[in-house]
Amino acid sequence: MPEDLEQECRTEPDFGATVIRVAADVLATMFFEEAVPSECAHAWLATAVSAHIKFEGSHCGEFLLSVSPDTTRSIASGFLGLDPEEMTATQPAEVVLELANILCGALMSTLWPESSLSLDSPTPAIAEHSFADSMHCCFTLPDGMVAVSIGLGGQPGSV
Amino acid sequence: MPFSVMIVDDSPVMRGFIRRVMTLSGFEVGECLEASNGEEALACLKERSVDVILTDINMPKMNGEELLRRLETDTRLRSVPTLVISTDATKARILKMLSLGAQGYVTKPFSPETLREELERVLGDRNA
Repeated sequence: MPEDLEQECRTEPDFGATVIRVAADVLATMFFEEAVPSECAHAWLATAVSAHIKFEGSHCGEFLLSVSPDTTRSIASGFLGLDPEEMTATQPAEVVLELANILCGALMSTLWPESSLSLDSPTPAIAEHSFADSMHCCFTLPDGMVAVSIGLGGQPGSV
Repeated sequence: MPFSVMIVDDSPVMRGFIRRVMTLSGFEVGECLEASNGEEALACLKERSVDVILTDINMPKMNGEELLRRLETDTRLRSVPTLVISTDATKARILKMLSLGAQGYVTKPFSPETLREELERVLGDRNA
C-alpha cells in the first residue's frame, strides 16, 4: 500500500463503515436495490461493467466502481423505471457511469465534508488491474455483485 | 396547475430520472425542456420560458456555476428559480452555488419526496 494511502487509512478509521453506509443509501434511494456487504471474491470482475473517476483538490486519487453484468441490468432497470427488455443497448452502461458519479460524490462529501474537490466525468474502465493499491468494499445485491474502490495518491492542490 | 421545467444535466439517464421522479412525487410537470450543459440551456431559454430550472454543476462546455452567473445577468431569466442537483455535498460548494443565485440545493442521492419538497419551497407563491 502506498505511504499516503496508508496514512489516509490511519486517519480515516471509519472508511469501511462509511463506504458501506453511503453505498447502501445510494443504491436504495435512487436505484431501488438492497446492497449487503460481502466477502471479497474478485473472479467476477473479468466480466464486470466498470466506471472510473479521477478526483483532485484537497484530496487526490481515483474511484472505481465495478458491477456484475446481471446487476447492471437490474440497477439500470430500477433507475430508469423500465423493464430490462425496454432498455436500449447503451442505457445500462450509462446508468453505471451515473451510479459511479453519485456514489463517488456522496463518498467524498461524507468522508471529507470540509474538502474542496473536483471530480472528472466518469469514464468506462477495466476493473481487474485497478485493485492492487486501493481501499475497497464488495457488496452482494439480489442479482450479483458491486465493488467500490478508492485509491489515494498525488499531490493535493487547489480546486 | 402544471409547471414548466428546464433540466440541465450532461447525463441523459439522469435527466430521465429527474423527470420521472418529479412525476412520481406528485409534482405536476407540464412542458419539460432538457439541455446537456449551460450553453444549450441558455440557447433554449432565449426563445422559451420556464417556471423553474434544475441544474447539475459538472458539465462540459458550460458548467452549473457559469450558468448561474449568466442567469443572474439576464433581466428576464434572473427571476426564474434555480435548483442545483449535485453529488457534491461539501459546505464550500453549496455556499458557492447559493451565493451565485441558486434558490435551492439537492444532493444526490435524493428521494422523490426530497425533490418535491425543495421544488415546492423554491417555487413559493407560484405553487399556491
